[in-house]
Amino acid sequence: MELFNNLLMGLSTALELNNLLFCLIGVVIGTAIGVLPGIGPIPTVALLLPFTFGLSPPSAMIMLAGIFYGAQYGGSTTAILVNVPGETSSVVTCIDGHEMAKQGKAGTALAIAAIASFFAGTTATIVIAVLSVPLSMLALKFTAVEYFSLLVLGLIAAVVLAHGSVAKSLAMVLLGLLLGLVGIDVSSGVARMTFGIAALSDGLDFVPIAMGLFGLGEIIANLERPSERRVVSQSIRSLIPSRADLRAAFPAMVRGTALGSVLGVLPGGGAALPPFSSYALEKKLARDPSRFGKGAIEGVAGPEAANNAGAQTSFIPLLTLGIPANALMALMIGALMMQGIQPGPQIMTEQPKLVWGVIASMWVGNLMLLVINLPLIGLWVSMLKIPYRLLFPAIVLFCCIGTYGIANSLFNVWLMMGCALIGYFFIKIGVEPAPLLLGLVLGPQLEENFRRAMLIADGDFTVFLSRPISAVILGVVAVLLLAMLSPQILKTRKEALAE
Amino acid sequence: MTRSRIDLQDLLFGLFLVAVAAGTLVATRNLAIGHAADMGPGYMPRVVALALMAFGLLFTGRGFWRMRVGIAPVQWRPLLAILASVGVFALTAERLGLAIASVAAVILASFATREGRLVETIAFAVVLSGAAVLLFVKLLGLPIPIWPR
Repeated sequence: MELFNNLLMGLSTALELNNLLFCLIGVVIGTAIGVLPGIGPIPTVALLLPFTFGLSPPSAMIMLAGIFYGAQYGGSTTAILVNVPGETSSVVTCIDGHEMAKQGKAGTALAIAAIASFFAGTTATIVIAVLSVPLSMLALKFTAVEYFSLLVLGLIAAVVLAHGSVAKSLAMVLLGLLLGLVGIDVSSGVARMTFGIAALSDGLDFVPIAMGLFGLGEIIANLERPSERRVVSQSIRSLIPSRADLRAAFPAMVRGTALGSVLGVLPGGGAALPPFSSYALEKKLARDPSRFGKGAIEGVAGPEAANNAGAQTSFIPLLTLGIPANALMALMIGALMMQGIQPGPQIMTEQPKLVWGVIASMWVGNLMLLVINLPLIGLWVSMLKIPYRLLFPAIVLFCCIGTYGIANSLFNVWLMMGCALIGYFFIKIGVEPAPLLLGLVLGPQLEENFRRAMLIADGDFTVFLSRPISAVILGVVAVLLLAMLSPQILKTRKEALAE
Repeated sequence: MTRSRIDLQDLLFGLFLVAVAAGTLVATRNLAIGHAADMGPGYMPRVVALALMAFGLLFTGRGFWRMRVGIAPVQWRPLLAILASVGVFALTAERLGLAIASVAAVILASFATREGRLVETIAFAVVLSGAAVLLFVKLLGLPIPIWPR
């Protein structure tokens, strides 16, 4: 019954008029950036962070969350109609979704994608609600020792499960940790690595770093590629799928949702990994695998359900333990801290209205998405006609203004410029920047908890192994790292992550 | 993509890490280290920097003996135009106001591609600048001057 009461409380928060409004703003912006290739949710959330100051914490989180799962809806529209993934998570949808569009079934594909997303979003909301309570009970037993181990697990797992070389990602985490140390040391009051710059004494803001690395670096790299002509030729006839289509899509939808929910909770999960796994699963289960790539409806329904479920369940570690599963969740942690809320295991008991409000708003938001996506599809399609040559200067300008807005400081704009250069360098040498952001956001907490743990244990490192919960967590870390040394698993991982 | 005898991606990343780690060690040389039970401000930076140094040396070494494809040549136009756009915004925003800084930033950024047409770009820049002033200053109350002081 507690679950029911919690959801009811959440729903009452989510249904407050202003929260409904911010949820709507979030999902509309999310859909828009999802439709447009070349702008992802990470720079968008970073850009909007400064303007969530004035909002109440639930409103801010509801809007930012809406951007993330809204982007998953929008991404599939572009994938189906133009064969260009609007987001990385909709890469797979291109394969069969665009093929369906070529066969004149664009409307069916869009509708199935939206229905699958809605189904997954609804189910995932329930999964979050069910899992949150036991996880937060466990979290209440945590001291600095366990929390430190948990942070380590979060960072390591995010690295192991995400794209790219494990060793390079680990190095990027360390780089992020190092950047997180810049500023005045909280316990001794000594300035560290500030090079005498006053603006650095409060530490580096992560917004300019995120915008530089993810937003601007990406734009520069995009501009190096010759621009492709996008043709949206398919006219959308009927948006209502036939009964046979629905029957074919439904099992895939269920499997995709289950797969996405599980993969989303894992650190490093989120929206990118689930659709690939779901597509592979559907192909394996299909009676006639050769239909895949030629417009199989399961190839749209499964991955679309998976990416939405994954996008939503990736909030679970954040909402219950205060650990971000991916770079975007790291930004959400930043948003919480800007609101003066310390993320951590205590968040569920101290901020029940916030946590349950965000959970309930996801269901409300999914309902809104269904409504704004299907009937308004024409509007989103016309957005695709905006040429990139007009789009990118606007993004650059908004990044500049947004970065300035966090602290009204020009220093941050310069910092963003530097990070744009570094971000471009990382893209050139093929290094994934997401782990850096995780390290940067978690760095100060990691140091703080390590210090406190050492104080409790009087400098005895074995404390991390003598406490049972911490020992189990570190055991998982060890298994993960050892598994990465095994060539067999490395090979499977490579195949699983290969696009 | 060019074939190269060394793995340029690994090598450059390795050297980058070594440089960052060395810089950190120099910058934090005067901070007290303390010991594990009572860490000084220099403890964590040094631990992280040493780990980074190890990774850096690993990648640098690996870069030398692994044969791999090199990196695609750098195209200067987009890189410089975007960086210049941000730089100009930083230089002008507080002195000349958001309206002028926005126009300048958008025009500079659009030099990143050859597709731009000057008239279209200027018109677009003016419209965007107006929109930015309305949205950020009037609506969201960003404390930034609109015109030169």
